[in-house]
Amino acid sequence: MNLVKKRSTAQAREENVGESMWSKAAYKFRRDRTGMMGLYVVVLYMLVALGVAFGLWGTEWSDNNGQKWEGISFQYWFGTNILGQDIFERAVFSTKTAFEVGLVVAMISTLIGAILGALSGFFSNTWIDEIILWVMGVLDSIPFYLFVAAIAFALSGFAYSMHVAMIATFWTGTSRLVRGEVIKLKNFEFVEAARAVGVPQHTIIFRHILPNTFHILLVQSTIVFVGAIKSEVILSFLGLGVKDGVSWGLMIAESTLEVQAGEFANFYAASALLFILVMAFNMFSDALQDALDPKKVSA
Amino acid sequence: MEILQYTLRKLVTGIPLIFGVTLISFTLMVHYGPDKTYDLLGKNPTQEQITEVRHQLGYDQTFVVRYTQYLQELATMNFGYSDSSGEKVSSILIRTMPVSLALILPGFVLGNLLGIILALISAYHRGYWIDKVIMGVSVMGMSVSFLIVIIAFQVIFSSSKGLDLFPVRGWDVYSFTDYIHYVTVPTLASIFVSLGYNTRFYRAVIVEEMGRDHVRTAKAFGAHPIELLFKSVLKNSLIPIITRIMFSIPLVVISGSLLLESYFGIPGVGKVTYDAIISGDQPILKAVVGLTAIMFVFTLIINDILYKVVDPRISLK
Repeated sequence: MNLVKKRSTAQAREENVGESMWSKAAYKFRRDRTGMMGLYVVVLYMLVALGVAFGLWGTEWSDNNGQKWEGISFQYWFGTNILGQDIFERAVFSTKTAFEVGLVVAMISTLIGAILGALSGFFSNTWIDEIILWVMGVLDSIPFYLFVAAIAFALSGFAYSMHVAMIATFWTGTSRLVRGEVIKLKNFEFVEAARAVGVPQHTIIFRHILPNTFHILLVQSTIVFVGAIKSEVILSFLGLGVKDGVSWGLMIAESTLEVQAGEFANFYAASALLFILVMAFNMFSDALQDALDPKKVSA
Repeated sequence: MEILQYTLRKLVTGIPLIFGVTLISFTLMVHYGPDKTYDLLGKNPTQEQITEVRHQLGYDQTFVVRYTQYLQELATMNFGYSDSSGEKVSSILIRTMPVSLALILPGFVLGNLLGIILALISAYHRGYWIDKVIMGVSVMGMSVSFLIVIIAFQVIFSSSKGLDLFPVRGWDVYSFTDYIHYVTVPTLASIFVSLGYNTRFYRAVIVEEMGRDHVRTAKAFGAHPIELLFKSVLKNSLIPIITRIMFSIPLVVISGSLLLESYFGIPGVGKVTYDAIISGDQPILKAVVGLTAIMFVFTLIINDILYKVVDPRISLK
């Protein structure tokens, strides 16, 4: 325990001088203009989503008050859809759906990826590693959309079958990266020292090694977040996605009929909001990777 | 000879993978899949009729028996007849797989080729405006959903509101001009969607290679840019490129085309499989999933052999 304490004081001293990985990364990130812009946009979306979650706005998303395909007006900012529903309200409500899908999938799949990746890396070349690698290989070899469709039917009626399917496929990427990093880290001196003073194995894995992969987990979770939002759109179109509420994917799916009739408001609204969020998140994620990985080839 | 031995050894180690994929898919799609009994029965069936149909579909057997049967079918490549149409599964696959391949191949090849070319340009001018433009556009391309691209391209190229040059949906291909006619819009859409990802990936690989000493030396000796890029850089970065291309093949063939096939109404294997999941047509599902798993194992093997071809220092062990 003594050694650990010493390490953390050394770390604290470094942070004061601004030499730790995190303070350096924060400094680098703040100077990245596109990254900061991305972050601002993501925060803005998040506030909109929180507002929806607390019932401040986007509450009339399912009311069909208007006429079919009303134009843009003061009452209906983006016009109305085929059922006379307010497109603006629906688009705003969908922000919450997107964040819910993104956060749930990103958090749980990162957690699973971290734990299993750490275990398989720490016990590399043993049967534990073999089994985890086998599971990952198997999950990666099943075509994604077929897998989701199959899970949707196996869990029929369960509102979160889409989330389950995404988590089941997305954790493998994180897990592989964590595994590689843990294999590298477990030969470091601090692990040897912890072992020498008799720290139990699970503490070494989860308290000493895993926190050192946090930068990978952070970047990976932003990548999974974007992947989840984008997959939701396609799955909702295929009828496998969001079951209650509305999402940009459902809006685009219903707009396919309207587009044929020459009504683009629904399509534009959902596509633009989706595009801006994904774009901002990609910029944020790129800047995060640049800031956290000194080896990464940047522009 | 070495390659043959290696292939056989790899095939044996690929068995657990095939086993796992088929087991998970079988559990999800067949064991928990939709029940077809009442689709095949008339109104007010008697108890005997129900038992009869359930027996035909194999529902009355235990999980283990059915799974073993499936493995036998997979080993002999004999998947029987579709539950829905009564057509032979193998003839369905022979009919639909070429369609999917013809649909996806041009976009896949062009998407990767263009990605490599743009990545070479971008990496060569690293840090200059042309690099920044290419990378900026790539991030934008990555941020557009495939579905949005498909809808937009269909409106722009195929509908009466746009250019109205190509058919909106369908697949009536009898000649090469027909083929071009039907394949252009889906191909453009898939290139658009994959180009951003490809360019970024290949650029990262190439930039890393550009920083090596032998490239700097070649540059110092005044090597022509084209020669430098192709001989010194591209040849040496082939391994990650091959890995990326090879590993997308099994997934591209089936899931990659599902969205295109269902939106453009093209009768390919992705659409057939998707319909089979919805309707619970188990023989088709078993065939597609099993074949994908086998394809994966072969991809892994071919991938390793290609490594050896590209870099003779790699030994197959």
